[in-house]
Amino acid sequence: MPIFATIVKKLSFIFKIMQYWINHNGVQSGPVDLDGLKQLGLTSAAYVWHEGLSDWVKITQLPELQGAYEMVADGTGQPQPASPQGEPRAVAQEPATRPDEPVVGQPYQPQQPAQQPYRQPAQQPQYAATDQPSPAEPCPPTNLVWAIISTVLCCLPAGIVAIVYATKVTSKYRAGDIEGAKRASETGAWWCIASIVLGILYTPFAMLIQTALMN
Amino acid sequence: MRRSLVIVLVVALLLVLGFIYYALDPSQSGFFPRCIFLEYTGYKCPGCGSQRAVHALLHGDVAAAFHYNTMLLVAIPWIAVCLFAESRRTSNPRLYARLNAPLLIWLFLALILLWWLLRNIFNW
Repeated sequence: MPIFATIVKKLSFIFKIMQYWINHNGVQSGPVDLDGLKQLGLTSAAYVWHEGLSDWVKITQLPELQGAYEMVADGTGQPQPASPQGEPRAVAQEPATRPDEPVVGQPYQPQQPAQQPYRQPAQQPQYAATDQPSPAEPCPPTNLVWAIISTVLCCLPAGIVAIVYATKVTSKYRAGDIEGAKRASETGAWWCIASIVLGILYTPFAMLIQTALMN
Repeated sequence: MRRSLVIVLVVALLLVLGFIYYALDPSQSGFFPRCIFLEYTGYKCPGCGSQRAVHALLHGDVAAAFHYNTMLLVAIPWIAVCLFAESRRTSNPRLYARLNAPLLIWLFLALILLWWLLRNIFNW
């Protein structure tokens, strides 16, 4: 259900779980959270990517990043960062020098149109070091901690459903089904939220009823 | 800045909750909510007794906490390790991957289901 996914996304943004990858003048970095991004001293020429975007976007196009970068004159219309296989250094150069230095392996394209969805920035050495089969994209969150907390503290068996979804996230991710893993991650997060919110909402009602019964 | 605000709020909430659960005994006071699952089905859920267990833990009475909800005592170190791995995910991805391995989560799930079943059979 898209509305639940939106809630999860909004919450993940509020609590700064959102991670950004950055391509600034051909130099890639990330993942960083919003605070980390602000410390990078980016300019409006930077490109960013986060989970859910189908491709790199200019940093100026993301409203939540307003003020996280410095405006610079951008008359040349910098091309988007090339695909991960290309030479990132060459991309950032002035377009005028481009025809002299062809990108290895593929012809130069000034504006790469819609590429395959969920393509990740070039390298993620920190995740590539794990025994996970797909180093290109980190495993979506399993929400295991929240599932355990809601199971042992919230008095609602909904936490158990969340644990089941936590197992699905990792196993689907390892089977290469990244889309399925993302769905399982969001569904599990929703069960955690439901469990915790119901537990919190129920508490004042229960107290009122018990106080009324005592009097 | 917003992140530090969230942390301050969470710590404040935990302190208030901790004080309430320290000062009032859930097994004596009627002000604590009873488990919905227990109320409507008559069976204990895996989390039943955790309020009394937290009260006992805050008073340093580990034996009583063990008696009220054994699973809570098992879960607390697990949660701590998972949170640690989560915060170290970029510098130590292997630990995070190990902890979130399906086999381990399935084992934990089996443990909770077993606990749920046994506590209702033996009235733990």
